[in-house]
Order: sequence, then structure tokens, then C-alpha cells
Amino acid sequence: MNHTMILSWVTFIYFASFVLYLLRLITGKELWGRAASFLVWAGLIAQTIALLFRWKTSYSLGIGHVPLANLYESMVFFAWAIILIYLIIEWRIKSKIIGVFVVPMAFLAMAYASISPDINNRIEPLIPALQSNWLTIHVVTCFMGYAAFAIAFGCGLIYLLKSMGKGNAENPAGFPGKLPAPATLDALIYQSIALGFVFLTIGIMTGSVWAHYAWGSYWSWDPKETWSLIAWLIYAIMLHSRYVRGWRGKRMAILALIGFVCVLFTYLGVNYLPGLHSYLRA
Amino acid sequence: MLKNNSLWSFFSSVKLTITLLALIVLVFIAATFLPVHDVAQTFADQLSPGSAKIFFFSHWSDLYHSLLFYFLMALLSLNLIICSINRLPALWRQYQASPFPEPAGTFDDLPQNRIISEDKTIIKIKSIVESRLKQNYGSCKEAATERGSVFYAQRGCFSLSGVYIIHLSVLMMIAGAIIGSIFGLDADITIKEGETVNVANLTKGNGIQQLDFSVRCDKFIVEFYEDGTPKTYRSDLSFIKNGQVEKQGALLVNHPLTFDKFRFYQSSYGVAPEIKVIVTYKNAGKKSGSMALAAGDTFDLPEGAARGFVMRVEENMMQWGPAVKLRIISPKKDIQFWVFQQLDKLLAMKPNLLIEAPMFNPSLFAPFVFSVDGVEQTYYTGLHLVRDPGVSFVALGGLLMIAGMIIVFFMSYQQFWVRIEQEGPKISISIAGRSNRNNQQMKKKIDYLRGQINQELEA
Repeated sequence: MNHTMILSWVTFIYFASFVLYLLRLITGKELWGRAASFLVWAGLIAQTIALLFRWKTSYSLGIGHVPLANLYESMVFFAWAIILIYLIIEWRIKSKIIGVFVVPMAFLAMAYASISPDINNRIEPLIPALQSNWLTIHVVTCFMGYAAFAIAFGCGLIYLLKSMGKGNAENPAGFPGKLPAPATLDALIYQSIALGFVFLTIGIMTGSVWAHYAWGSYWSWDPKETWSLIAWLIYAIMLHSRYVRGWRGKRMAILALIGFVCVLFTYLGVNYLPGLHSYLRA
Repeated sequence: MLKNNSLWSFFSSVKLTITLLALIVLVFIAATFLPVHDVAQTFADQLSPGSAKIFFFSHWSDLYHSLLFYFLMALLSLNLIICSINRLPALWRQYQASPFPEPAGTFDDLPQNRIISEDKTIIKIKSIVESRLKQNYGSCKEAATERGSVFYAQRGCFSLSGVYIIHLSVLMMIAGAIIGSIFGLDADITIKEGETVNVANLTKGNGIQQLDFSVRCDKFIVEFYEDGTPKTYRSDLSFIKNGQVEKQGALLVNHPLTFDKFRFYQSSYGVAPEIKVIVTYKNAGKKSGSMALAAGDTFDLPEGAARGFVMRVEENMMQWGPAVKLRIISPKKDIQFWVFQQLDKLLAMKPNLLIEAPMFNPSLFAPFVFSVDGVEQTYYTGLHLVRDPGVSFVALGGLLMIAGMIIVFFMSYQQFWVRIEQEGPKISISIAGRSNRNNQQMKKKIDYLRGQINQELEA
């Protein structure tokens, strides 16, 4: 069994657990939730094994490198990081409710990586610019940040859905009533953003140190650099308005959505602009 | 006095910060979508035609160096400085503030955090609480009240300074960038293999920079993987100062070399328009060493004071492959002839070739027999050199920022008050606390502290 096959199974597993989380939400039966969590854990373990396999395979091909070097590999790692952070949150808050919104994001990333005709899943050799020890730490920190922002995005979506719900705000009836309390969501949005912000900061800095060694300048205003700074500034605005101006709830949820759009543009959109980070271009 | 100034209050507002950050975001969005002026392209255009040049990295210049952006950054820096100055006295007061009396309402509504002891003296209980607080938080303070006393302990006091550390780090990075742009230098050098250069072209503008040393490119190597992806770009460089080679090294992408305050980067390479042929000759059956010759080169022959001139070098002469036209001048002779690499093949196809075209005979200058062993391309290596005294500021700023963020996000200022009071025959112990963030975690800490005290009371 090779790693690509395991990864296709993982894609399927994430989809199945999304369906189970949905069933739990609709029927309210905890059994579905337990099954969903079990599947997600299984998926994460399988995906970890597949990534390690891919790593090992690259060495047997004689072009050994960490599987974080092209769009396909980064996409798979993105999904992995989303699931990892999600499971930590699920374990900490002892609630499975945000799984319905977060797990499908990992599924979409996996599905896009394997289905999109623009993404090839071959193990490619490292070009000279990528032959650096900074590759691993830079990509890992950036994508942990992206994953945390993805979770904040998911929580923001739930928050807005809930605030659209009818009935009284504290205990709305019907579907929104099954969603977590606004205060919980607000705290989750804030915590994911704080985590993502620290990771993104470290990601930008490790990238900057790497650029210092590779390109001769710690900052070159390459579009990806600029967009990562845009995302960083959006989240900085968010944190300031929360700390100093006391913004909460809906405004935070909306900013979490805007921030994640910037993150996605930093990750994918920028590839259509000319720049130095062309390694991800298909 | 200064603080009543409306300008001062304008610059110390967080509204201004948020507005400025939003404006900077807009400038960045515009900058990434506007067509960029590609410095690398203009540099490539300046190169002589025919020389293929491959750039790995290019440098952009546009809105990021506009007055508008500088103005916004200056306002942001001023805003940061003034905000920090404005809030420093409050921070100092927070550090200095006496924890007694406890803030109003601290002990309201905490039935679950109250312990009633019936069998111990107040002195005994005080000593238990005091030693517990000291063990948990290093030190504690005590203040007497009407019916007993209040103990106070705290943790993570320095976390109040986290925000200031982050703001200081931003200012340090801005300072580093300014120092770099004023005192720094960016330049490019193109060196042909074997050449020595001591002048660099400034990356911005058309100026040149005379170097106190010279750089020689001994060899440039480009390697490819099996699938054609580039694997290695390497320049073997010698740094020469006062006529002496002071440093030699291999320069690779991701592995810069440092010499005389400059850092050198492998940034591009190219193929020189002219090609070289590898020429050898046989003299009385003895083969000479090989010479890499380009058009215009000369060489000496060991006998008869003869001198060779390379008239032309052709990569594919008359579709017959690589050839070189040589002219040999000796005191007795002055002859010209062509030397083909694939002469044996040509003779097999046209046995009469040397009779029909005597100029194609490589042994016209007897007893020497010349041959071409191959064609060699000459590479240029493109080096980027940088001197940036601002880097250490930016790096220190980066470290400070990470430290500040860890303090802000993962640490909190926690304050605990424990009130011990005689209530008739019983003694009540109330535990309260607050934190500058994460109240959920604070509740758990108070619960935990209550549990600890309870346990020690029962023991």
C-alpha cells in the first residue's frame, strides 16, 4: 500500500466523519459524535503515516526531502494541521459541535489536492532555492497558523449562522439552538486567532531569516510576503480592537472571515501574481 | 501640560492605530495588483544581446518606496511611541499599586470559594494560608482588617509589559529597515569564468560601487536532476585583496559567503555569447595539454618561436560540427587552416576532402597535428552583494516580538486575595482573584488553591 492510496482513504474518512458530525447535530445522539471523533482520530493517524511514507519514499528515490515542498504536499499538510488543532480543541472544550464546520475544510483541502488537474502529486526534487533547513520550520509554522485561522473561520461562520437564528438570543429554537453558546464561540475565535497569530508571526520571521540567507534580503516585497503581512495586519487590527475597544461577538466573527480570505489569498491567490514564491505554481 | 494638547491626544489614540493599519493594508493590496516595475528585467535588457541570463530572484520597487507609504509608516511609528509613553505611567502605577485594600467587590458573590473552619485558631489558619501562598507564588503580603486579615499574592506581574515589548520590537524593526536603507548597499556583479572584477553595479539606479578587493570566478557549475530540474548552482570564488587571495570558497544558493563586510549571494547565471573549443596538438607523436580557446585568443607553440592565433570559432561549421580556424605565424611561415572536431567522420564520407580543400588539413603546420576535442561554453555567474547594518536591529526586534507575544498570549497577571475573618466562634476563609486575561483559567486556579488550603486545614 503506497502513501497516495492511504491519502485517498484519508480524504474519504474525513468526509465520512463530517457526515457523522452532521448526523449528531441533526439527531442529537451522542453515538454519532463518538463515531465521528473516532474516525477523525483514525484519519489523522493514517495521514501521519502516509506523510512519513512519502518522506521515506523521497529518500529511496534519491531526492530525499521533507514532504512540504510543493502545492500538493502543502495542501495535504494544511489538512493535517487543521485536523490536529481541531482534535486538540475538541479534547479541551469537550464539545464536538465545531467539527461539522472544521472537518469539511480538511476534507476539501485533501479533495482539492487530489482532484485538481493543476496539482501534481509526484515527489519532485528540490530546486537549489529550497535546499535549506529553514524549509521545514517555515512551512510548518505558516501552515499551523493557516490551520488555526481556518478554525477561527469555522467558528466565525457558526457564530453568524447562530446570530441569524430566530427565537431569543440566549436560547434560540431549532437548528441554531443546537449550536454552541455565543460566548463559547467568541472565546474560541479569539483563542484560535491568538494561536494563529503567534504561528503566523513565527512563520513570517523564519521566512525572513531564510530569505536573508537565500535571496540576500530579509524582506523583498514579494507578493506572498506582502499578503502574509496583510493577513497579519488584519489579525493585529482584530486583536487591538478586542483589547482596547472591547469588540466582541459579531464583529470578531466577521473579521475572522475577512482574515481567512486574506490567508487563502496569501496561500493560493498570490500564485497568480508574479513573484519569488513561485514554488507552488502549478 | 503636553498631554492636554489635542495633537498629542490624536496621536495617542488607538483609533488612529487601527485606521493607519487599515490604510497600510489598502496600500499593500494596491501595490500587489498594480503592474510592477521589474528591476531584474531592465538589468537583463542591459546585458549584451545573445547572452542568455536566467534570474532566480528579482527585486521589486514601487509603492513600497513611495512617499505615501513612508508617510503612513512615520505616522504609525509616532502613534506607537506616543501611545507607549502615554500608557507608561499607568503601567508603573499598576506595578506600584498597593494590593490593599482589595478592589471593591472582590469578595462578593463567592459562596463556593468560602471555607468555614470550626476547630482551628485564627493564628494557625493564617500560618497555613501564608505558607501555602508563599509556596505557590514565591511571596505574599498581609494586611490586618477589623476581624482578621487579608493575604495577597501575585504571579506574572511582568506580563503587563508584554504589549510594550511587542511595540518596542516593531519600532526596532522599522529602525533597522531605515538604517539598512540609508547605510546599506545592494549591488550586482556579473563575472565570466576566469575573470576578476572589482566593480559592482548598484541594484538601485545606475551607479557603480568600487570595491576594496576583487572577486575572481574560478568556475561556475550548474547541475540538473534527471528530470531536468536544476539541482545546483555553484560559483567557486576567490577574493583578492592587495594582490593576494585572502579567501576562497564555493558560493551556492542558500549558502552565502561573507567577505569584507559584504555578503555574497548566488543570484543568477548566464552563458557567454562566445564559445570555446578545446584544442590539442600532437608533436612527434606526443599529445599536448588541452587549451580552451575563444576567438581572438593566442597561444605559443614550443618550437621555432611559433605563435598561434584563433581566427574563428564555429559551433557547427557548414553543418560539419565544431571547428576552429587557426593562424600560425613563425619566422618562416604564416599559414591559416581549419581544424574540425569530426575530421575522421568527414574523411570517411569524403575521402578527397583534404585534396579539394587543403585548408581543412589540421597538419598544415608540420610537424604539428591539431585536433578539436570538444566545445565548451563559458558561463557568467551573477552575484548579488549586500551590506546591511540594519539586519541586527531587525533580528533583535524579531526575537523581542516573539518574546512579547509569548508573554501576552500565554502568560497572565494573576492576583489572589485570601481573607481570614473571625465570625463568632467560626473562622471564614474567602478566596478571590482576578487576572488580566483568561478568567476561565483563573477560576480553575482559585478552585485549586481552595482545594489545597482545605486539605491542609483538614490534615
